[in-house]
Amino acid sequence: MKNRKILIAAILVFLVSVCLSVFILRHSDKQIIEIVQDGELLYTFDLNDAEDRVIRISAPDGGYNLVQIQNGTICISEADCPDQTCVNTGVLKSDYLPIVCLPHKLIVRFAEEES
Amino acid sequence: MRKTIVTVMSGICLMPLLTACGTQDDTVKSADIFAMDTYMNLKAYGRDAEAAVAEAEARIYELEQTFSVTNDASDIGQINHAGGQPVTVSDDTVSVLQTAMQMNSESNGALCISLYPVLRAWGFTTGEYRIPAKNEIAELLQSSDDTKITVSGQTVQCPEETEIDLGAVAKGYTGDAVMKIMQEHKISSAIINLGGNVQTLGSKPDGSAWTVGVTDPFAPDTLLGTVSVTDKAVITSGNYERYFTGDNGQKYWHILDPKTGCPADNGLVSVTVIGGCGAECDALSTALFVEGTERAIQHWQNSGDFEMILVTAGGELLMTESIAANYTAKKEMPCRVVHSNEEP
Repeated sequence: MKNRKILIAAILVFLVSVCLSVFILRHSDKQIIEIVQDGELLYTFDLNDAEDRVIRISAPDGGYNLVQIQNGTICISEADCPDQTCVNTGVLKSDYLPIVCLPHKLIVRFAEEES
Repeated sequence: MRKTIVTVMSGICLMPLLTACGTQDDTVKSADIFAMDTYMNLKAYGRDAEAAVAEAEARIYELEQTFSVTNDASDIGQINHAGGQPVTVSDDTVSVLQTAMQMNSESNGALCISLYPVLRAWGFTTGEYRIPAKNEIAELLQSSDDTKITVSGQTVQCPEETEIDLGAVAKGYTGDAVMKIMQEHKISSAIINLGGNVQTLGSKPDGSAWTVGVTDPFAPDTLLGTVSVTDKAVITSGNYERYFTGDNGQKYWHILDPKTGCPADNGLVSVTVIGGCGAECDALSTALFVEGTERAIQHWQNSGDFEMILVTAGGELLMTESIAANYTAKKEMPCRVVHSNEEP
């Protein structure tokens, strides 16, 4: 009887830990975004959970970038920088290619996963 | 029996916890830097990572000042405004000039650092793009000759009209300087990205190779593939990096052919060089781009101390035999492996 209780307890702990493992491993499905300006982390959030909105980021020299979150994608939709490279980059696609606005020292990128 | 089941199950239960605890205890430090007209990212792993990255950042700003073509007080500014007189420069400038001049000779003039006046005429130095007239280019090309630059000890001398710019080598040299600092701080793993020039130190902290993306020149916001490397620089020159489209609908890019003074159009749209020395890889990527497909292959066959990935204007991927094994395609493109003993 006692042994059976131990066995049931062990099975319960096993099932809970399987669920926990799935939960822990699932975190790699997250798409954590970092918005960094001149070395300062301004925003960080999970793109999958983010609501559609536009964030206005002011540059120290008075310029601005509009960061748009829409349907689980992120891009710089508008900026008053002279080269417009950040706008022309389009939506953020890969870890390798962050969206960068050189004149405003602004970076939008995926945070690196902790391995 | 039950005891065994309980033991095995407990073991399995503990596994996720063990995995979670099994990460490196090394510190990691990364930094974003805006310098040399580009975005840079440094990442170092090791006990002394914070100090190494801080020192590397200061060194980048120092080299930016030394090599700046727009600052009249920099080494390059002084050389360009010396009116033909000798100028005393830093060890860094001497070293970069030597690498560039050696590459000029190895590539039969394909890499040319004295094209600055032509580059300016096209507007690539200011962003105010224009298509210069043929005779204007011809006149400016007369003062573009790297073989007329003399370096003796710390002294550099150029003809009066000659103006140089180290854009094709400076970032690679800076990468080498950063890696030297990392090594002095006993950093075992580091990866730096200086505006698309990627350099790696050792392997990743878990011992596996670094994965470096190769940009698709036909869709520069996406990757063509990735290469796995350890302790190597991976440096690309492409026609998508800085360009403008003329009123005639034609695309004009910033890598100029010293023979014509016009954008180098010899069959390649992107050249990635993989090797041990950042400055050399940087210089090579430009030289090979200008040389074009056949001469680039010959250059590799004669030299052999680097690997390369070429993308032709016709949409073919050519890569040297050793890197082919470490390349993972992200996109399908006709691909040919180049061998050291074949006819180009």
